[in-house]
Amino acid sequence: MVNRLPTPSTWPAILLERADAADPTDLDAAAAAGVFEALRRAIRDLGATGTIATVAASGLRGRGGAGFPTGEKWRAAAAVEAPRRYVVANGYGADPATFTDRALLELDPYAVVEGTAIAAYAIGATEAFIAVRAEQVEAIRRLEAAIANAEEAGFLGMDVHGSGHDIDVRVRPVQGAYMLGEETVLLKALEGRRGQPEQRPPHPTERGLFGLPTVVQNVQTLAAVPWIVRNGPGAFGAIGARESPGTILVQVRGPAAEGIAEVPLGTSLRDIVALAGKLPRAARSFKAVLVGGPSGGLLPRDLLDTPYDFESLRAVGAHVGSGSLVIADDRACVVDLARLLTRFCSSEACGKSIPCRIGTKRLAEIADRMTEGRPRQNDMGILADLSADIVASGLCDHERLATLPLGSAMRYFQAELDAHLLRSSCPAGVCQPIKVAAGRTPKTPVKAS
Amino acid sequence: MADLITRPDSRLDRAPAASPESLAERLLETQAPQRPQSTPRIRIEVDGRVVEGDEGQTILEVCRDNGIEIPTLCYEPKLDGFGACRMCVVDVEGEDHPPISCSRTCEDGMVVQTQTEEIRRLRRTNLELIFSDHNAYCLPPCQNKCPSHIDIPGFLKANAEADWRESTRIFKRTIPFPSVLGRVCPAPCEEHCRRDEVDEAIAIRDSHRYAGDQVIKAMLDDDVEPPLPFERQAPTGRRAAVIGSGPAGMAAAYYLLLSGHDVTVFERDPAPGGMLRYGIPQYRLPKVEVLEAEYESVTRLGGKVVCNAGLGRDFTLDDLTNQGFGAVIVAIGCYDTNKLGIPGEDAPEVLDGLEYLRTATLGLPYPDHAGKRVVVIGGGFTSMDCSRTSVRQGARDVTLVYRRDMKDMPAANEVHEAIEEGVTTIFQAGPVRIVTDEQNNVTGVEFIRMKLGEPDASGRRRPEPAPGTEFTIPCDRVLLAIGQGPELDWLEQPGNEGVTAKRARLTADAVTFETGRTGVFGTGDVRIGAATVVQAIAEGRRAAYAVDAYLRGNDLSAIRTRQTLAEPQPEFLSIVPFTSEVKEPRYRLAAMPAEVRNKSYIEYELPYTPEAAMAESTRCLQCTCEAIGFCDLRRLGIEYGTTLKTLEPQYHQGAGYRSVTENRFTGVNHDYIRDDSHAFILREPSRCIDCGRCANVCAEVVGAACYDFMRIGFDTLVTTPLDMSLNDTPCVSCGRCAETCPTGALMPKPRVLQKYEVDESRCILCGICVDACPYDALRDGPDIELAQTSREDPMIDLMAISAVEMDTEVTYIRREADWATRAAAEGRLIDAGRLLPVLPATTRGLPAGNGHDGNGHEGNGHTALGSGHGGGHAHPK
Repeated sequence: MVNRLPTPSTWPAILLERADAADPTDLDAAAAAGVFEALRRAIRDLGATGTIATVAASGLRGRGGAGFPTGEKWRAAAAVEAPRRYVVANGYGADPATFTDRALLELDPYAVVEGTAIAAYAIGATEAFIAVRAEQVEAIRRLEAAIANAEEAGFLGMDVHGSGHDIDVRVRPVQGAYMLGEETVLLKALEGRRGQPEQRPPHPTERGLFGLPTVVQNVQTLAAVPWIVRNGPGAFGAIGARESPGTILVQVRGPAAEGIAEVPLGTSLRDIVALAGKLPRAARSFKAVLVGGPSGGLLPRDLLDTPYDFESLRAVGAHVGSGSLVIADDRACVVDLARLLTRFCSSEACGKSIPCRIGTKRLAEIADRMTEGRPRQNDMGILADLSADIVASGLCDHERLATLPLGSAMRYFQAELDAHLLRSSCPAGVCQPIKVAAGRTPKTPVKAS
Repeated sequence: MADLITRPDSRLDRAPAASPESLAERLLETQAPQRPQSTPRIRIEVDGRVVEGDEGQTILEVCRDNGIEIPTLCYEPKLDGFGACRMCVVDVEGEDHPPISCSRTCEDGMVVQTQTEEIRRLRRTNLELIFSDHNAYCLPPCQNKCPSHIDIPGFLKANAEADWRESTRIFKRTIPFPSVLGRVCPAPCEEHCRRDEVDEAIAIRDSHRYAGDQVIKAMLDDDVEPPLPFERQAPTGRRAAVIGSGPAGMAAAYYLLLSGHDVTVFERDPAPGGMLRYGIPQYRLPKVEVLEAEYESVTRLGGKVVCNAGLGRDFTLDDLTNQGFGAVIVAIGCYDTNKLGIPGEDAPEVLDGLEYLRTATLGLPYPDHAGKRVVVIGGGFTSMDCSRTSVRQGARDVTLVYRRDMKDMPAANEVHEAIEEGVTTIFQAGPVRIVTDEQNNVTGVEFIRMKLGEPDASGRRRPEPAPGTEFTIPCDRVLLAIGQGPELDWLEQPGNEGVTAKRARLTADAVTFETGRTGVFGTGDVRIGAATVVQAIAEGRRAAYAVDAYLRGNDLSAIRTRQTLAEPQPEFLSIVPFTSEVKEPRYRLAAMPAEVRNKSYIEYELPYTPEAAMAESTRCLQCTCEAIGFCDLRRLGIEYGTTLKTLEPQYHQGAGYRSVTENRFTGVNHDYIRDDSHAFILREPSRCIDCGRCANVCAEVVGAACYDFMRIGFDTLVTTPLDMSLNDTPCVSCGRCAETCPTGALMPKPRVLQKYEVDESRCILCGICVDACPYDALRDGPDIELAQTSREDPMIDLMAISAVEMDTEVTYIRREADWATRAAAEGRLIDAGRLLPVLPATTRGLPAGNGHDGNGHEGNGHTALGSGHGGGHAHPK
């Protein structure tokens, strides 16, 4: 189980409201705490359109990274004429080093199941899938237990709450690469085909799973839905930032501590970074924070006042992404870090589109050359031009975001890049065989574990 | 149902005697998809033009329907847009990222831009990325270097199979005269042959000479028509005049005749040939046996040659126009020998080298040449011909003087033969004056030594006189061969207005060959100055292309791009790996000994034996891409300027060619292994650009699903599972993958196709062929079942059955096979990309040709040669 970081008591708990339950799959205890109250309310009081209106009024936005308004998405899917519709809960958690989705699934499977059921009811779907990484056995076990319990109690299955509406929720373990986090790729995987993205539009709300209208939502988004229905859209809208209300799970990793925490959107990066404790005193200073996982942006100290929400992060060249924040102190070389991240994105590409398959590889090669002290004449220019062209002509967000690590390094750490490019030196003493900047003692090489 | 009600009863309209509707018709009526009566039309604006389309169409479909071209690589018209290549990006007003047009549905009022600066940049970046991982090559260096870009690996391959006729046919696609060129071409191709890196260059010239000779021999001995490179076009009824019957003029005439025009060639001399007849001596190019025989291929096509008719002497351009010639090609060549500009040059014994050769090549001894001491000045082919002819005419001493070094001579290859025959050569000396006596008789030439200075524009070191080094060579006669220019006096005459000259060359466009006068074109030496025969022929062929377009009323400015695309571009090259070739020296032509040949005008090189010609051609490494000419990637690379030439011009000079993969993104690239295990489909994964078309077509149209994207990241490749041979996949050998492949990654395997016929009257329906066929080409069909039933039950009235027009799948497809042709005849527009899939051969009926490259080569010895080259699918003997 992942470590949970203590948060200030003033921060609301929505997603981790019932996280301290002794047995997360115990339906009686959960029902006492209000589980499936929201589903009943949606069916009995609000009706399908009312539910969508409530979610839309709350201002809830997708936690998967892009921050698309959830109500709008449901409305679009419900408006398409189709024989069937689907709801897919994306609990895949593509970032291999981030466990926020997994923590949610394990700590409160009922929130996800109930949110999925409400979404299915709202858009008129009878089948819903919760996609989970196949290796997360515990999460799958708890989800399946929760669904079984709920079906037995009549909260799910045929004719839910006497509405005449069937809601069939299934757990689908999926096994795959990083790309599965992308919604169209996940749909392909659920169909049993090779995971490659489809050009959007048409969005999955129009043509999704098996060509039918599908709502794909991150599990965190769905877990927030029951709370909204129970407490009203106004209460939800009051939490967090004005444009991005609500809370989100983040995973902070710093030299002092690491773990997950639920933070209101709009909290400043400084406050979130502080959750991981203070940096040790001895000559170590904060250098950068990687926001958004492997395809995130590297932000410097000056930008720590940036609010943690979708638009603000995009504006500074990072993104919410997997909810991961990694703190780098002055022992880290930004160029080397960006190189590793770009290489990861390149080797995880699905290989469908040209800018992604070849373009990100060329980005990684340029970074390789920089850290190895053999840059070509115009590498900086090519890096900038190629990044811009990949963003402009890319197929899915993977390749667009893959330009962020090097892009943010260029934007905020130009001096360090110049040291590599022009003086063949690495101020942090990380890159080999580049010689270490004058006046600093070389770092002892890290022993391979 | 509405139309069933409103439509009048068809039975009422029909005459009672008409036969009942066939089963197929009834099936078609009931099973045809009930399309809406009309799809709503929408209007969008593309590049400032309002175009109409049906609702639900993509931007790409609407644009293509309206003739607006958007480049694509991964788009397969039968399937939905895929979105892998990102080439069809377009700019849509009000959107941040440009969408791809193949999957974006049109909305009414959309404003689309297809060719903005930004969009073109994105496409160009994409192409550069593709090329940076495109470990392949397009043209072999020899073909690059040939001024006429002959398909050299192609004809050598045919030669290696002893198919001389096919070899000649390939050759004639770009040069009509293989035997002539086989004797007089300086063979720039051989200098760049990559076999040279193994042992020695291929004897390319001698190889096509042999093939051409075989065709001539067959024509003269057995009256076999020479092969035509293309199918001849239907007569257009338009007339073209060609002035000059030299290589440029005759080549232009040949290709214009093939295009269906009526051509008349005007020649000022008594016999056609131009420089080939009056400039090149008999011992290098036999006039009757080779030149006239080769020219016969033009007259056999119906070309008329009018001799003793010179431009400016006997007629003017106005006269030709008045005679009804729609286009006139001026290809009068260069006959005006340059002057030295030194004292004493006007002495009577200082002769124009061409004037001298003119007499000599007719086989006549030049007056008073025997016993003379002759000095020839110059270093080109004319000087070579002058000195070697002088030797043959019995001159006492022949001295060749050239101002540069020997290796810088244009005729450096031939000078050794001249020396063998007894010519004295002096290099690095330039004439100062002609020494004459009181009677103005030449007694000698005074020369000055030249030292070599800095290289000039041609890359050769510039000769500079070294003062004080003058010397005199005593002689009786001087032959000048220092280059020629065209005779352009006729420009001033009335009736030839409009045509101009600049710097002693006829002014004509390099691509459209237009002169200042409408309908008059200039080509050959008269346009570019004295050049080699092969350059002149290349000029003539290209001019014919432009004139054909002009005569057909096409836009000549459009020719620029088309001509550029049609012409193989010398831009894509790469290293062709060769590792295990066995060293095998070049088969050289034997020559008569110098003592014999310097007295005779007989051709002194002895031709190959058939075995030697085959063996020599077999040495060719075949460094070429089979998809050249069909490759979309290459076409787009040229169009978007992502070639080596346009990206890095500094590397395009000299021998500094580099590989395709080099551009600003160059990095790691893949080198995959060729898979030729399948009988019909050749896979060359190094040429794959991962567009996924084969995978999509195979899975969704054919249903076999042999290919898919395999592996991940940069190493992703569209291939078979585990890279297995296609033989191990569910492949049905339909060839759709090779058909859809935009590059040469999947190709129909080159093989000699056989034609089979089934005599149905003799078939006993044993079914053995069905059982034995490895590729399901023959199947149990409804026909066979019907036959079995009737054999078991003789009581069935066969006559009654045959009276009913029973349609089966087979008869239906047979009947509908030419639906596209009929639709075209009815004036309906058919998108070529939407034709039906290729039908099995059994249902199509056997085609007339062999289907492989079917235009105009039928029954040309494949059958006679038997099964020697069946590409792994040998038929039973």
